[in-house]
Amino acid sequence: MIKAESIDFYYGEYHALKNISMQMEPNTVTALIGPSGCGKSTFLRLFNRMNDLIEGTRLEGKCWVDGVDIYDKSVDVDELRKRVGMVFQKPTPFPKSIFENVAYGLRVNGIKDKKFIAQRVEESLRGAALWDEVKDKLKKSAYELSGGQQQRLCIARSLAISPSVLLMDEPASALDPISTSKIEELIYSLKEHYTIVIVTHNMQQASRVSDKTGFFMLGELIEYNDTKKIFLNPAMEETQNYITGRFG
Amino acid sequence: MDIKRKKRRGLQAWVSWWIEKILAASGGITAFIILLIVVFLFKEGVGLFQSPRVDEGYVLLMHSSNEVDQLSADELKGIFDEDITNWAEVGGKNQAITSLRLDQIMDRFTEEELGGEYEYLSQRMGELIATTPGVIAFVPTLYAPLDHPAVQAMTDNTIALRDFFVGKEWIPTATPVPLFGTLPLVMGTLWVSLFAILIALPLGLGVAIYLAELASPRVRSLLKPVIELLAGIPSVVYGFFGLVVLVPWVQRVLDLPVGETAFVGSLILAIMALPTLISVAEESMKKTPRALREASLALGATHWQTIYKVVVPYASSGISAGVVLGIGRALGETMAVLMVTGNAALIPHTLMQPVRTIPATIAAELGEAAAGGSHYQALFLLGAILFLMTLIVNLMAEALAKKQHNKGF
Ligand SMILES: Nc1ncnc2c1ncn2[C@@H]1O[C@H](COP(=O)(O)OP(=O)(O)OP(=O)(O)O)[C@@H](O)[C@H]1O
Ligand SMILES: [Mg+2]
Repeated sequence: MIKAESIDFYYGEYHALKNISMQMEPNTVTALIGPSGCGKSTFLRLFNRMNDLIEGTRLEGKCWVDGVDIYDKSVDVDELRKRVGMVFQKPTPFPKSIFENVAYGLRVNGIKDKKFIAQRVEESLRGAALWDEVKDKLKKSAYELSGGQQQRLCIARSLAISPSVLLMDEPASALDPISTSKIEELIYSLKEHYTIVIVTHNMQQASRVSDKTGFFMLGELIEYNDTKKIFLNPAMEETQNYITGRFG
Repeated sequence: MDIKRKKRRGLQAWVSWWIEKILAASGGITAFIILLIVVFLFKEGVGLFQSPRVDEGYVLLMHSSNEVDQLSADELKGIFDEDITNWAEVGGKNQAITSLRLDQIMDRFTEEELGGEYEYLSQRMGELIATTPGVIAFVPTLYAPLDHPAVQAMTDNTIALRDFFVGKEWIPTATPVPLFGTLPLVMGTLWVSLFAILIALPLGLGVAIYLAELASPRVRSLLKPVIELLAGIPSVVYGFFGLVVLVPWVQRVLDLPVGETAFVGSLILAIMALPTLISVAEESMKKTPRALREASLALGATHWQTIYKVVVPYASSGISAGVVLGIGRALGETMAVLMVTGNAALIPHTLMQPVRTIPATIAAELGEAAAGGSHYQALFLLGAILFLMTLIVNLMAEALAKKQHNKGF
């Protein structure tokens, strides 16, 4: 379970997130939608402290992952990131073999047991619905895969370290329809084990894969509710305008 | 819709056509010039293997009963240095060798016997050789008693490929035959540059990592210009620094007979290579996509793990380019190395010996080698060898970088 409470976030002077409180349940998929620049990625990146890498940012409010206040001084950021996997908009395979890409998270974790690593790699690739396509070329460079395969490889890479939360920032926006539907199926099957948050610009996608949807605008959380409710009967006019395409 | 290509007209089209052609041609011209230089080096040098070993105007004379008619350059040197004293050692019969040079011959006769104008020199020489069966004499052709029945001139060979490429001694001024063994020079060059890389790579990589990943923007903006400034210092200055500071220091600390060693050469070379190496490596590390870094960190990798598992491998081709450029620049700048390595043309056995590199040899000797002579030709061939060596190193670095990129690390 992850939770944000009264979050205000600043890039220097720029107030990017305004007083956001939101709670995402385990074994559900939560979609974040909203016009470009409204702060979806910024919000998502709070939960694995990716925003720490950007200079001059400031955070007010609290974030919890599985009951831990992740901005507390006692938190080890590297450990947190092992619990909270992230998939980026563009596939970002490392310039390594397919196998080593998936094994990466295990290796940086200090795991040396070859058998265990091989087993985890296979499980993760199966989990990401990629195993059958790559099982014969694990030693090949990850760059030899198609964009859609690369993105599933990146998902497998995140799964390998058994996170409890999976953050996905427009994971299918750079992909063709077939790859996209594969990823969507994958997300659907993964929610059994993970808390999933997905940012998307694709309304159909949000309604297909998510259980709950949050609508952001200009750094504010306008509406957060069951996906069905948001798409069929939104409470706010802005939401209505956005999902019907009259805005954004 | 008319989608046919229209003919471009007017001055603009004409100019752009020419610019295109010039750009296309410039690549070809560059390649052509490089080719021309190589051809020139070889053309000037390859005559070496057609020129006789013995200097023009001189012959080697022996007693006509002597059956030895082939001597290698090394053997000849041995004989005249009196290291080889019996013909049996070089494949002849068991007989002591008497090696004679012109001055030694003249010492044996009085001035009257030779004649005021040396008109009897040739005759005396003939007599001397006739009475000394084990003789070998190195004399000017002008005075050689070639029609004397007891005298034979040794058939002279041209300089052998073997002597040039695997000869162990480089003594271009030796008589009767100069020794052009390039092995010590090639080895010297390899040793000095190899150890320079071994010193410069970890150091340069360390600094580059610090600059690219760890230094605060303020420190970085201070350090970078300083390092770039170092690249602009002329190599003589580095050489001077090496000679005055490093050489005595190394000699004292390591308690060596001489401080001018391959080690100091490598050190200086490494120092000279560092600025280029650091700049190029740092820049290529900075180019690592932010997304790759974030992906690594998002998997729980620490900053250090991200550096050595993602950033350095990603930048590996840039890093090896930096090494090649740095060392290439330093090697090409002969002066510093010339000043601190002691320049003894010996095959080095340890790093703590004087060595001589190919560029240093060329720089030091080209001035005194007669144009077109065998020494001159040998120096040109050395240049060609150096060119090939750098070419091979370059190709290797490139292949390495490519391989790493394709296969993953
Ligand atoms: N590194 C940064 N430095 C300064 N401002 C930033 C930075 N990253 C984002 N912003 C600003 O914060 C706001 C929110 O950005 P964010 O990337 O979270 O938007 P988003 O909702 O993900 O948009 P998109 O749908 O286009 O991805 C934007 O106005 C953006 O300009
Ligand atoms: Mg975004």
